[in-house]
Amino acid sequence: MILLRKQAINDAPWKILFSALFLSFIGLVALNSISYQNTTIIQNPFYKQLFFLFIAFCTFSISFITPKYIIHKYAFIIYGVGIFIVILPFFGSAHAGTYRWLDVGLPINFQPSEFSKIFSVIALARYLSDNNLKIQKFRSIVLPILIVLFPALIVLKQPDLGTALVMLSIVFPMLYWAGARPFYLFLLIAPILSILTAFNVILFSIWALIIAIVIFYARTKIIAGVGYFFGNIFFGLLARPIWEILNPYQKNRVLTFIYPEKDPLGAAYQIIQSKTAIGSGGFFGKGWGEGTQTHLKFLPVQESDFILSVIGEELGFMIIAIILITFGYLLNTIIRYSFLSKDKFSSLILLGLGYILLAHVFVNTAMTVGLIPVKGLPFPFISAGGTFLVTSYIMIGLIMRFSIHYSD
Amino acid sequence: MLKSDNIVSHKQYQIARILSWTMVIILIARYFQIQIIEHEIYKLKSNTNRIRKVTKSAPRGLILDRFGEILVDNYPVYVLTALPGEMNNKRMQFNLIADYIESDSSIIRSNYKKYYRGRFVPTRLAKDIDFLQLSNLEENKLNLEGVYYDQIPERYYPNGVRAPHLFGYVKEIDRVIRRNLNNKELYELGDLVGWSGLEKQYESYLMGERGTYFFEVDASGREVGSASELFDTRPDPGFNIQTTIDLDLQIFIEKLLENRRGVILVGKPETGGILAAASAPDYSPDLFTGSMTESEWRSVKNDPDTPLINRYIQGTYIPGSIVKMITQIAILKYGSSDLNMTYYCPGFYQFGDRIYGCWVTDGHGEVNMTQAMSMSCDVFFYKTVQEIDIDNLYSAFKEFGFGRKTNIDIPNEVAGLVPNKDYMFKRYGKYGWSKGALLNLAIGQGELLVTPMQVLNYINLLSTKGKSPNCHFVVVDNLPNNSKPKLEAMIWQQVNDGMRSAIIDKKGTGKKSDPKIDGLSIYGKTGTAENPHGDNHAWFTGWAEYINDKYSIVILLENAGSGGGVAAPLANKVFKKLVNNSLATLK
Repeated sequence: MILLRKQAINDAPWKILFSALFLSFIGLVALNSISYQNTTIIQNPFYKQLFFLFIAFCTFSISFITPKYIIHKYAFIIYGVGIFIVILPFFGSAHAGTYRWLDVGLPINFQPSEFSKIFSVIALARYLSDNNLKIQKFRSIVLPILIVLFPALIVLKQPDLGTALVMLSIVFPMLYWAGARPFYLFLLIAPILSILTAFNVILFSIWALIIAIVIFYARTKIIAGVGYFFGNIFFGLLARPIWEILNPYQKNRVLTFIYPEKDPLGAAYQIIQSKTAIGSGGFFGKGWGEGTQTHLKFLPVQESDFILSVIGEELGFMIIAIILITFGYLLNTIIRYSFLSKDKFSSLILLGLGYILLAHVFVNTAMTVGLIPVKGLPFPFISAGGTFLVTSYIMIGLIMRFSIHYSD
Repeated sequence: MLKSDNIVSHKQYQIARILSWTMVIILIARYFQIQIIEHEIYKLKSNTNRIRKVTKSAPRGLILDRFGEILVDNYPVYVLTALPGEMNNKRMQFNLIADYIESDSSIIRSNYKKYYRGRFVPTRLAKDIDFLQLSNLEENKLNLEGVYYDQIPERYYPNGVRAPHLFGYVKEIDRVIRRNLNNKELYELGDLVGWSGLEKQYESYLMGERGTYFFEVDASGREVGSASELFDTRPDPGFNIQTTIDLDLQIFIEKLLENRRGVILVGKPETGGILAAASAPDYSPDLFTGSMTESEWRSVKNDPDTPLINRYIQGTYIPGSIVKMITQIAILKYGSSDLNMTYYCPGFYQFGDRIYGCWVTDGHGEVNMTQAMSMSCDVFFYKTVQEIDIDNLYSAFKEFGFGRKTNIDIPNEVAGLVPNKDYMFKRYGKYGWSKGALLNLAIGQGELLVTPMQVLNYINLLSTKGKSPNCHFVVVDNLPNNSKPKLEAMIWQQVNDGMRSAIIDKKGTGKKSDPKIDGLSIYGKTGTAENPHGDNHAWFTGWAEYINDKYSIVILLENAGSGGGVAAPLANKVFKKLVNNSLATLK
């Protein structure tokens, strides 16, 4: 049972693994470029990454040979373990004021929230693939949201807004994939957007119009539709007075949470430096090891969160485009296998894991070019960082396993 | 098991694909925009412009004397800083720096740890770099990537004034200090904060506001200009504060106290302003600037003569005879004595089964109240004080500001002690003390403890008939309220007469204080305070009237002997100086 049949191994979509390894290879090239100044091997991000890549390959193999039914059977237990390990760091000491890291007594620390993302996907897939679930009902989509909300809130408390957002981002695609009515998903997202748009009159008016149109086409009962429409307007109108009640100190906290750029010492400086590095790279880049922005260390956390800026500067748009297209190809391969999958559980797992990768790629890449506020999220397969690299390859292992059509 | 079938529709599949490709394409498009379309802009920027943020400490406000002369100034010193994120080999670079500036690399490393705030925040490595060291560093700049130097303002005392207790000192903020500050967001590591004296008291005026600069640096790390897209803020210097100190007089009294232990205070009773204040022994005011070594600090800290103590607000002394005016006032106010009473002083007084001695063992003979004051006869006061009780005496002391802080504008003042009935009961029990305690208090002995600043305030009040404002070093809009003793004119007159005759009478104890200058009249009282811990403390207190000016003075010399013999001659010199200065300003 544990071992796969030869046929199954041949059928596994190895192109997924190769795409990932290709991205890791580009990452190593970039890391080697920025590593030459570091003296000791233990501090050198290149050798560190190489070491973790080896571990990642081992964990990949383990997750690849783990039978599907075991994961299906123990999905909720796995989820419970996931919750437990994200709570663990709170019992330890804070690292730089956060509780993301778990000190395991090794020279390397371990960031449990990375694993929880996978575990949430598994639990969600298990719940949504249940035969008895009436996904068309509104209440069937409330529990899945709670399943991801719970670990996400703990992670938010660590505090790690980036990871929490990634965890939350999978729930709507998976619900949609499982067949939930898009209208209900809209109903859930709408109040959040109502609050956010409330600070701009034009945006708010456009948004109100969109709500009205959607409600009209969804052909709800008139009372429910009207009630929902005005409920949203009310939400929006309430947002401003509540904001005004907050004292300046609280407002500031919220603002720097959402827009770290407000802090001139930190994020604004980072974004400017990152954009300068990327923009000055041009189509072919300045050449490997030639990035002036990078090598004068103007770029902060260049080996992890801002690795794309290093690549953009030294290797140029050409390689960036190759990276993003490779990722697009990888993601669409996953989505295709998800679509072709025979059973719902496998299909949902594939889609969930794929969208986790997408969320990481989007947030990280958009951040380096100033499209969204700075959130400390790494780029899968490329950024230096042990735990994340290992989890990424565990995901690849799972994805490949669940892509095989044979049920074991 | 995995029996539920996958029923994803083709439409769902298409939407998921479109969504994922859309996101990837948005990202590619944005990179295209920055790397291809806007490439030229960023290329130019990266060639010449790299931005570094540097904050600059604001110079502290100056401390000026009453005429605007500078007492405490700022002086630029060079500090060596490092941008941790730009250093390529810290261990090697620290060793190099240590060589160039003839320091120890462990000191540099510990500074680095002490001031480290982040990879791109300048971190201080060393201070007080001299020109030679600077040129050494400059020659080897290639090996010192990420190491910079900067000028910071430091305290400096240009005019030879010491007054360390008055000015206080500033401390460089390190991690521990910063954590304990109330308004920590206003300070960076390495900034200065007032730690004692005026520097602490007026910190909010003196501190100023730090500036932030954004520099563009070229490929070798040199600054080429300021960054256009980020706004600089200049450091905003602190406000200057003008004190009531007279620079010249301050130096003069500091010289007088050289090699002595004690206090000299000179004030203006009409305003409460203090012209000069010295506590000896003291320490050099720049002890805490520059790099004080551990052994220097220990020698100052462990000096048996306690130079760190500010004696005029923190030293508590037995006042001795200088508070006899209080006794006199209490007797005239609460007792029934008439002004013309006389008593015979045989040199001692028997009260109960105890003998209370007069300081002149042969006795003063027949004395009236003015003579008793002039000759400082103890026996007269032993006798007369029995008309009142200890609480009467206590309230007279309180009226003149004893037993509480004077609210002078430098921190860490102590309150001294004036005993009343409650205190005596608490301390000695109901039967543990007798009226004999009152006799001791009457001549300023016993449990009484005063600070020289309280004595100055008391002299100020006596010389202005109770109208002197609170003592202060800096004129502010609302001074704290001073005590306002109200007495009959007759009593004020009697006090004046007594203190005047102590100076001009042939047998007056304070006659050595009078420089005998035309137009200068001195009122004073000496004190020789018996002290259980050693020789007597010598006091001279009083005021001088010259032309239209009035000056109050308090002199205390620890373990120096008699007030009339040791302290009064010093007062003489101060009065002469005051007259000379006053003449100089008239011309």
